[in-house]
Amino acid sequence: MNTLYLDGQSLLHRLSTKPKLGGLAVFSVFLFAASHPLALGVSALVAALAYASTGIGWKPGLARLRPAFITIAAVTLFALLFQPPIEALVILFRLTALMLAAAAITATTSIGAFIDTITWAATPLERFGLVRAADIGLSVGLVIRFVPEVTLRYRSIRDAHQARGLKVRPVTLIVPLIIQTLKNADEIAAAIDARGIR
Amino acid sequence: MSTRDLVLVALFAAIIVALGLIPPVSLGFIPVPVHAQSLGVMLAGVVLGAKRGTLAVALFMLLAAIGLPVLSGGRGGLGVFMAPPSGYLYGYLAAAFVTGYISERFVTPRQTGLVQGSVFFVAALAGGVLTCHLLGVLWLAFVTGLGLQAAFLGTLAFIPGDALKALIAAFAGRAVMVGYPLLPQRA
Repeated sequence: MNTLYLDGQSLLHRLSTKPKLGGLAVFSVFLFAASHPLALGVSALVAALAYASTGIGWKPGLARLRPAFITIAAVTLFALLFQPPIEALVILFRLTALMLAAAAITATTSIGAFIDTITWAATPLERFGLVRAADIGLSVGLVIRFVPEVTLRYRSIRDAHQARGLKVRPVTLIVPLIIQTLKNADEIAAAIDARGIR
Repeated sequence: MSTRDLVLVALFAAIIVALGLIPPVSLGFIPVPVHAQSLGVMLAGVVLGAKRGTLAVALFMLLAAIGLPVLSGGRGGLGVFMAPPSGYLYGYLAAAFVTGYISERFVTPRQTGLVQGSVFFVAALAGGVLTCHLLGVLWLAFVTGLGLQAAFLGTLAFIPGDALKALIAAFAGRAVMVGYPLLPQRA
């Protein structure tokens, strides 16, 4: 599976994951506390500079954010209809700044770095017996491993419908997909236990 | 949690991801294209029950958060949790729990198919439609400052499609219950 991580050596790439995520949290709290359009406009500009500093380039950088910008534009237009224009501007700047800052962190943090940080953050929960921190990384790995498998199965069920001249209906497609996939669970669990991974 | 439950949760998260990769279908009588991903969330509750279903959705959201493009339309990253429609994403988590809780509380293997199917339908409606849209509207109203009324108007267009998905989830839930029951053996 492709990830949204972008290889690079920028300042944000070199910064470790914990301060980056902490910084993003502080930034988002600030964005919702601030209500002056100028402060929010400057924040959006700073976030845009941070996103540009990842070295993503104009075209792929914008392509990635297109769906987000469309929803922001829709909400801003909606706000213009119901509220004074200055409020719409506040909404536009606030949401754009959030979007760009989050995209900058996503582009500069690898899956491995994220999982390490999540495992670290889950360790206190482990003491209370709520979760096993190592399970999180294992589960993420399992999903990445099995998504292509499920997609393949989806295609073969669809083909089986077409080969028999049946219309592909959601129920007749989803039920065999779920049953076939989940029936593997016993074998996979046995394999994990047999290898002593867990 | 046993290794088998962990694997079931991971496999179901993979199914939810795969459902998002399927192109959305237009149903003709509904103007909005119907994505299969929220159907996957209802199915998680109906098939796996409250605990495992919620964990499957949580795992799916974790994958999105760490930058895998697993949401429908190839979206992902931390940005999707801070956008105007993010409330629906948080709603998924609550939806899986509510659907799963009602399903495992009121469905037993001995009931007839009609009873099971109806309970699954009510569960999927309460979780996947009511809870999910409630959180979606609240988020949209307060985070963007749109106000409740405008946000509510915006969500109405998606209700018929989601109700239909609840119906599909009910049929599928009943069929899985017959073919490979997982709901009675609780995590």
